[in-house]
Amino acid sequence: MSDSTDERTPTPYVESPIIMATVRIITPFVFTFGLFVMFHGADSSGGGFQGGVIVGTIVLMLGMAFGIETTRNWVGPKLPVGLVGSGVLAFILIGTGPVLLGGSFLEYHAYEIHHASKYGIELVELAIGLIVSGIVTGLFFVIASGMEDNGGETA
Amino acid sequence: MTDLPALVIVFPIFASIAVLLVGLVRPRTGWPIATLASIVQIAITGSLALRGFNGDPVQYVVGGFTVPYGIELVIDGLSATMIVLVAVVALGVLGYARTAGPRSNSFYATYLLLVAGLTGMSITGDVFNMYVFLEITGLTAYALVASGKGGRSALAALKYLLVGTFGASLFLLGIGYAYVATGTLNMADLSGQLAAVGYTSSLVQAAFGLLVVGLFVKIAVFPLHTWQPVAYAGAPDAVSGLISALVSTVSAYALIRIVFSVFTVDFLLANPFARTVLMAGAVVSIVTGSLLAVAQSEIKQLLAYSSVSQFGLIIGAIAVGNDTALTGAAIHLVGHAIMKGGLFLTAGLIGTNAGSRTVTEFEGLGKHLPIGAGSFGIIALAMVGVPPTIGFVGKWYIALGAVETQSWPLAAVILLSTLLTLAYFARLIERMYFREPAVTTSSVETTDATDAVNVATDGTGTTPSMGMWMTVVTAAVLSVVLGVVAFEYGQLLEPTIEHLLS
Repeated sequence: MSDSTDERTPTPYVESPIIMATVRIITPFVFTFGLFVMFHGADSSGGGFQGGVIVGTIVLMLGMAFGIETTRNWVGPKLPVGLVGSGVLAFILIGTGPVLLGGSFLEYHAYEIHHASKYGIELVELAIGLIVSGIVTGLFFVIASGMEDNGGETA
Repeated sequence: MTDLPALVIVFPIFASIAVLLVGLVRPRTGWPIATLASIVQIAITGSLALRGFNGDPVQYVVGGFTVPYGIELVIDGLSATMIVLVAVVALGVLGYARTAGPRSNSFYATYLLLVAGLTGMSITGDVFNMYVFLEITGLTAYALVASGKGGRSALAALKYLLVGTFGASLFLLGIGYAYVATGTLNMADLSGQLAAVGYTSSLVQAAFGLLVVGLFVKIAVFPLHTWQPVAYAGAPDAVSGLISALVSTVSAYALIRIVFSVFTVDFLLANPFARTVLMAGAVVSIVTGSLLAVAQSEIKQLLAYSSVSQFGLIIGAIAVGNDTALTGAAIHLVGHAIMKGGLFLTAGLIGTNAGSRTVTEFEGLGKHLPIGAGSFGIIALAMVGVPPTIGFVGKWYIALGAVETQSWPLAAVILLSTLLTLAYFARLIERMYFREPAVTTSSVETTDATDAVNVATDGTGTTPSMGMWMTVVTAAVLSVVLGVVAFEYGQLLEPTIEHLLS
């Protein structure tokens, strides 16, 4: 072992064309599958939590394939916060919409559309999916950064 | 507006997200948004409280469902008191946190989320919904404790997380048992159904035991208090002030709800053992908490153990379970929140200004820092229960309630607790006013602005701001003034307590 490796531990990242190609191919499918699971929250097993984690794993896969630092720079610090924020905001809007239309909080029937309740729950599941994927991404970067920057805030 | 009960929970969540999202565009907007939100929150809770105290409880079912199925929100005198208390203390601590820190936007966002969780716990009329808000409160509180710099707060938060999750799990298990027994989660519906199942049914008894022990962990009653001193002492000053004032308080409120709204007094009458357990928890907590407080050398640890002892009084009032004692419990919950929050913030201020964070370092503070020492002294005396302060009124009602039901051991312990509280606070007051500083304590260091930002979470070495002084002095004034109006408040609360005990 040379001195330079002793001073700075080598990153576990290995640039492998096989992994990069695989990740490129399966990413769209994983994303679609995540959405599929999210859309099945209202009437079968599935939902925003599971779907959100699946969508969040895309960033994890990209991190494994292309290096965590590269992915972090590409994603940027604002995306996870934005995802979480817009997810919660979407939920609040869906909830308070009926109040503005004269119903009570979260009363989906106040929206005058067919199967309002079903679409309402579906939208809430999507919002939860946004939040969960944002948090998974944020947590991944925070944990990956290790103890070095001492409690810095990525998400 | 008829939808205010839902909005009072949704609004802080919205504000919390607003802090995060606006923070992406303009980084230094966390404090103004959080403060504005807290002021609006006080207005919302205030108008709800007016309706809650005015005759029948306000009831609201989320989503337009009918009662036993939908989530119900109920605002009576007691829950109205809690939400106003949460909003007011949150604003006060924000005034302190502006310069004392922590100041990141994620701190303010978590802070508002904690407010949402506490408000939700206070007004929900559904046990499972209460668990959800208990978890929101818990998780945000762990995060806030961890927001201090350095390993100590991280370790404290981890311990808090482990023990707190254990408590919440017991609570959830208790809900499960109650649900198995009755098939409902709505509190009002549960109380009827549990009576139908029979109070001596082992399923119902197990549910009661799990719910109560789960909340004991959250309140920090003696043998289950281990997370609390570490968390309060390890957290940044502003956070210790906030969570010591609110988190255990709202958990104790939840215990009152569970015991009297869900299981009712008849359950306690049918199961004398349940009452004995509550009584034992109270007595042990009061005595051991005080003794441990006397043994502490660090101020924040001392205050934390003092909380263990004070919440023993509340548990005692629940065990007594008549209207006088419960009025006392409500008053003492409010009083303790103001006093303990005030004491933690004053201790933080003194630590920031004079660097005194241990009992011995308090020597000669009366000359050195008259306003800080004065506030600390007044609130400490209020805590002991010197009339006419709020601490006196709360203890008076609880002791009176204990005497009315002839629970002499508890009445004796309450009187003893006053002496024990005096024991640990007299030590501090004596040092502040009747001793010269033995060693030269580190004088006030004014560091330049950039350094002040860096050490903000730690505190030591910064000059206290106007907001910090104002919060501390307001807490001291309130702990006296509230004592004067507390008897009127007790009368105002009468219909609510009667309804709770019927």
